[in-house]
Amino acid sequence: MSSDAIAVQTAGVSADRTWLQTLHEWVTTVDHKRLGVLYVFYALIFLVIGGIEATIIRIQLMRAHNDFVSPQVFNRMFTLHGTTMIFFVIMPFMFGFANYLVPLMIGARDMAFPRLNAFSFWLTALGGTLLYFSIVGGSGLYGAGSAPDVGWWAYAPLTSRAFSPGHSADYWTIAVLVSGFGSIGTAVNLVATVLSMRCPGMKLSRMPLFAWLTLVMSGLVLISISPLSAAQIMLLVDRYLGGHFFDTQAGGSATLWMHFFWIFGHPEVYILVIPAFAFASEIIPVFSRKPIFGYPVMVGATVSIGFVSISVWAHHMFTIGMTSYSNSFFVLTTMIIAVPTGIKIFNWLGTMWGGKLQFKTPMLFCIGFLFQFLIAGLTGIMLGAAPFNWQLSGSYFVVAHFHYMIVGAILFCIFGAIYYWYPKITGRMLNESLGKLHFWLFVIGFHLTFDVMHVPGILGMPRRIYTYEPGRGWDTLNMIITIGAFIQGIAILLFLANLVFSYFGGSKAGNDPWDGWTLEWSVSSPPPVYNFASIPAVASRRPLWDLKHPEDPDTHYD
Amino acid sequence: MATLLSAEQMKQNSRAPGEVEVSAPTAWPLVLAFGFTLVFAGLLTSASVSVLGAVLALAGCVGWFREVFPHEHEEVVPVVLREVSIATKRRVVERLPVATEQVRAWLPLETYPISAGVKGGLAGSVAMAVLACAYGLLRTGSIWYPINLLGAVVYAPSEVPSAAQFNSFHPIIFFIALILHIVTSILVGLLYGAMLPMFARHPIVLGGLIAPVLWSGLLYSIMNILNPVLGSHIDWVWFMASQFAFGIVAGLVVMRQSRVPTRENLPFVLRVGIEAPGLMPPRENGEKRP
Repeated sequence: MSSDAIAVQTAGVSADRTWLQTLHEWVTTVDHKRLGVLYVFYALIFLVIGGIEATIIRIQLMRAHNDFVSPQVFNRMFTLHGTTMIFFVIMPFMFGFANYLVPLMIGARDMAFPRLNAFSFWLTALGGTLLYFSIVGGSGLYGAGSAPDVGWWAYAPLTSRAFSPGHSADYWTIAVLVSGFGSIGTAVNLVATVLSMRCPGMKLSRMPLFAWLTLVMSGLVLISISPLSAAQIMLLVDRYLGGHFFDTQAGGSATLWMHFFWIFGHPEVYILVIPAFAFASEIIPVFSRKPIFGYPVMVGATVSIGFVSISVWAHHMFTIGMTSYSNSFFVLTTMIIAVPTGIKIFNWLGTMWGGKLQFKTPMLFCIGFLFQFLIAGLTGIMLGAAPFNWQLSGSYFVVAHFHYMIVGAILFCIFGAIYYWYPKITGRMLNESLGKLHFWLFVIGFHLTFDVMHVPGILGMPRRIYTYEPGRGWDTLNMIITIGAFIQGIAILLFLANLVFSYFGGSKAGNDPWDGWTLEWSVSSPPPVYNFASIPAVASRRPLWDLKHPEDPDTHYD
Repeated sequence: MATLLSAEQMKQNSRAPGEVEVSAPTAWPLVLAFGFTLVFAGLLTSASVSVLGAVLALAGCVGWFREVFPHEHEEVVPVVLREVSIATKRRVVERLPVATEQVRAWLPLETYPISAGVKGGLAGSVAMAVLACAYGLLRTGSIWYPINLLGAVVYAPSEVPSAAQFNSFHPIIFFIALILHIVTSILVGLLYGAMLPMFARHPIVLGGLIAPVLWSGLLYSIMNILNPVLGSHIDWVWFMASQFAFGIVAGLVVMRQSRVPTRENLPFVLRVGIEAPGLMPPRENGEKRP
């Protein structure tokens, strides 16, 4: 077909470097692609760590009166698990992909601020390291380290000196604070890159949806991480300088912490899920062989979600006793956010409708995402209704709901993204058979765990309990949930094995293995350090489609 | 068409670089991040750690500053040209032109305006009110009975009025029922107007038959939540009859309105009212078109 081509460079580096030279290159790099890979690699390590913590939690709960770990260790496990998965797994995954892909997709040679990019990554990485240094960094209350045990919300007054002596709460606060500064730096960089580094012809209306959604996500990071950082500094003032911001005994307010935390916490859900939307919005069209359905509406819906998501935070606080006006407001805003979200689901389905679907592994994960995100949204709407929330707040129903979102929607999309862009990053294809096995095992494990988990929640099982009495109807359900968790663990081990073996022995990917349409597929795999020998110019949303199909280019319709 | 440069074009282009400048690798961001983290880590361990962190952070700031001032450190990377094929691997299909007599969809050239739906809704509300009052007279001898039932939406289930109260006039309840009736009728009329283009040929079928059935079905399922008092007293046969009366009258009123051209086929610039000469050829011989 089309013979148009662009010139690219193979990396002009010699292969006979020592491992020390290689390490030095990676540690001092300011290249957005390497930093993106570092983010993803770092997230994968923490995914394993967080997964081990989840397994420990599930083993402890698999039967009544179990004592696999002590109550103190159990508290640390769920605290570390939540904090790790949110701040040191999902966010780095998203920043990693954004770092790697945004400049390539918009035809730029790097991010707007390459050194800030490196600084932000290292802050994030060191924040996570500091969190885990808590395990060995001090003897702690029980002589087994100072790992935080206050839950990932770290509600006041649990974080006050009276209830959290020592440094366990401080480790949580400072680790998240430091990584939060890193997140803000990355967000500033992404906003600047998207707004000012686009190649000629790439108007905002021609940007890949991935870049659009990254822009919205970065805006949300700027809006929501700042209050969390402020609250953490206030908490440090309370704990180190005798302040009383959250000390109810001295005129402070525990509810103030809740507001600060959730005004970060709920937009955070969208900070995590909007990049997942971005992955799906790139993968689904390519494997449906159709352009995205309703591009402007998708952009509008994402911007709407961004705005509405900052007005729903107190639906996490219905049980604290707000006024009926506040309850009504937050119920309404929560319901409203379902509208743009529903539009997005409709548009993804519209993209697939009538398309020539190819069920490759990335697409399978996106289809799983569509189904599970819908369910997660529906249970979210249920919990968004204040009277329903009063019954089930703090129960395993809520745990099931948000894991449906974090795992069923976001992690599924991350897996899809890794299968989709791994060939671009490494130049090798991931093994498709192992990928499909990974998908099916993970789907089975996921549904076994998180479908069933709704039921003990409805039966009254509170979250974060160390153990429970037998005969309450929870025993068998918890056993099934734990079995599902193990199946998910096996699936993830398969995935990691696939990553490693395919890196060394996978088939060569070529520059465009999926017949893609965005600019990253126009350069070699892996791309050269400068991305594009000449800055490209584009004239439609799918520049590679135009080159491949000169008889029917998108420019006829844009 | 997209204009990604071809290899040939690049060779011809005198500005195509033989080498590219990119930001030079540097350790200073890492030093600054490490120092910054240690400053905080000192709060958890020892003041000396914070001091070390501050020193590192300062060194990182100075090193970073010197990295970009007075001139940004960059390294030159040679460009090695290699052709990358950008071609689809999929089967290429022939595109057959669609015969002019085959059309994908029939779109009406004219339809009723949304305002017709609103007028129909208001007229229908009168018909519905007349029928409902007639029901009240026949059932209890009072026209206030259906009005009080409608207004009973404000009562808690524990405060259900007595039968005598249902048959007498209550100004506040009357006011509430009137507002509810008019607002709902206008909203239903608006919905009717918005749906009219889908049924442009037979508005009476939509208004007089389909909409009342759907509307009654919807209300049947949620009446006990919306208005428990009305739900417990309602006579569904009369209710349906009043819905049909509403729909038929609304449909008749709509049919008497003049149609307007549809705008679906117009270019976007015309739909938003931008003057764009040359977009549409002039009409010839009274040609009818959107």
